[in-house]
Amino acid sequence: MSIRLDNVSYTYMKKTPFERTALKEITLTIEKGEYIAVIGHTGSGKSTMMQHLNGLLSPDAGQVFVDDVDISSKRTEAKKARNKVGMVFQYPEHQIFAETIFEDVAFGPRNKGLSEEEVESQVKAALSFVGLDYDTFATRSPFQLSGGQMRRVAIAGVVAMDPDYLILDEPSAGLDPQSRDSIFREINALYQARKMAVILVTHSMEEAAQYANRLLVMAKGKIVIDGESAEVFQNHREALKELGVDVPQAIKLADILRERGLQISNDVLKTEDLVKQIKLAKGWM
Amino acid sequence: MSIEQGEFVAVIGTNGSGKSTLARHFNALLCPTEGICLINGMDSNLEENLWEIRQTVGMVFQNPDNQIVAAIVEEDVAFGPENIGVPQAEIRPRVEAALAVVNMTEYAKHAPHLLSGGQKQRVAIAGVLALLPKCIVLDEPTAMLDPKGRKEIVATVKKLNKEKNITVVYITHKMEEALLADKIIVMKQGKIEMQGTPGEVFSRVEQIKELGLEVPIAAEVAAELRASGQQIAENTITPEELAEALCQ
Repeated sequence: MSIRLDNVSYTYMKKTPFERTALKEITLTIEKGEYIAVIGHTGSGKSTMMQHLNGLLSPDAGQVFVDDVDISSKRTEAKKARNKVGMVFQYPEHQIFAETIFEDVAFGPRNKGLSEEEVESQVKAALSFVGLDYDTFATRSPFQLSGGQMRRVAIAGVVAMDPDYLILDEPSAGLDPQSRDSIFREINALYQARKMAVILVTHSMEEAAQYANRLLVMAKGKIVIDGESAEVFQNHREALKELGVDVPQAIKLADILRERGLQISNDVLKTEDLVKQIKLAKGWM
Repeated sequence: MSIEQGEFVAVIGTNGSGKSTLARHFNALLCPTEGICLINGMDSNLEENLWEIRQTVGMVFQNPDNQIVAAIVEEDVAFGPENIGVPQAEIRPRVEAALAVVNMTEYAKHAPHLLSGGQKQRVAIAGVLALLPKCIVLDEPTAMLDPKGRKEIVATVKKLNKEKNITVVYITHKMEEALLADKIIVMKQGKIEMQGTPGEVFSRVEQIKELGLEVPIAAEVAAELRASGQQIAENTITPEELAEALCQ
């Protein structure tokens, strides 16, 4: 069970003066069960790559396989494979369109051809996953919700499709810390419960460090770093800096303290690690 | 509440706490249904004051794409002054000065839609500066930007405040950005829940967290260490202060 990109290249506006190569010979395997963060500068090719994972864009060269099916073909098999990949775009609340929350979340499953009972149970499960009570919210208009709630409805719409691979493009952009944390808690619960793959595109290194177990760093249409999150932040500091990518705040703070002579090991990633290291260094535990 | 000329005020609070509504009162995009809002002594409920208020206080919004009106950067910056009837001869120097402040002079003849998010946002700021405002209100100006764009905007805003003595009201969800302010206003359900210097506000870690917000990482680490019985001053909120406290 995996998504596999085999030597994928993509060029925007090919054969025009505006031609721009967005992806260059990308080879990548994403296994079900992985939680991947994709980071990189604006224009590095993150979004273009994401759109290849579920066939929104087809490669100019190379192939994309979902569970070993080439998704660019027109066969029903390929359509089914594409359906396994759910995509939550940036600011997904802008894509809400139905009159009630139920109808909005039900759109995907219905399109997939499920029976009405199945649709209802999918909608129920999806809403409960994103922390919205079915009886309270199902018949309400999605347009009267707060930003964070609307985003949850949009995510529920994708979750209701029961994807094996869930792509989230900056799901926390513009949300306050509380809404952001609860959305990530829900994504995490979903990830644990369904053993799906989560692919998170983010500019927040804290999120990447906190949640993902694998980190992909993109630059100029290529994957330049691919590794375990902690390992990447530890061993590729200089490279990340050159790419204009930040490191998590805890790492930055650890650096400052180390410069001032505190003995802090260099595997600090999260705030709690740092607190522990400080206590050790000061002999407080 | 009041904000003085030259102050840098950050406004924080969860979604729906009233931050943006408050900010929109500062340049009379909204007028109070009760109470009174004075901008440089001008009552925003009196229609004859509106033009002058809006030239005194400029606004920059979250989405850079929604704020650009012209097809060339310098024309976009000139839009404001043209609109209020600034004489032609004066417009050019104003536009040039505004672009220089935000470091966008070399892009004067470019098409805005081909710029990065951070650059577009700086053009939006230049458009406000061309009106020679005394105060700029920025409503989450970095929310849609990548880390590089974010740094550009933060540096620009700091410069406006420190070098040009422009009053800044800065709404944000990023506590690291709020640290730059002289004063922080914390909103909750349409009310001011707390206000003070960054040190005063962020030392109340528990209270801030209960409000659904977070504190800068150094303040959080300091609070954790205090909780385990160590003597760390309450107003330790920046990395430097924490380093100072730990490495004497």
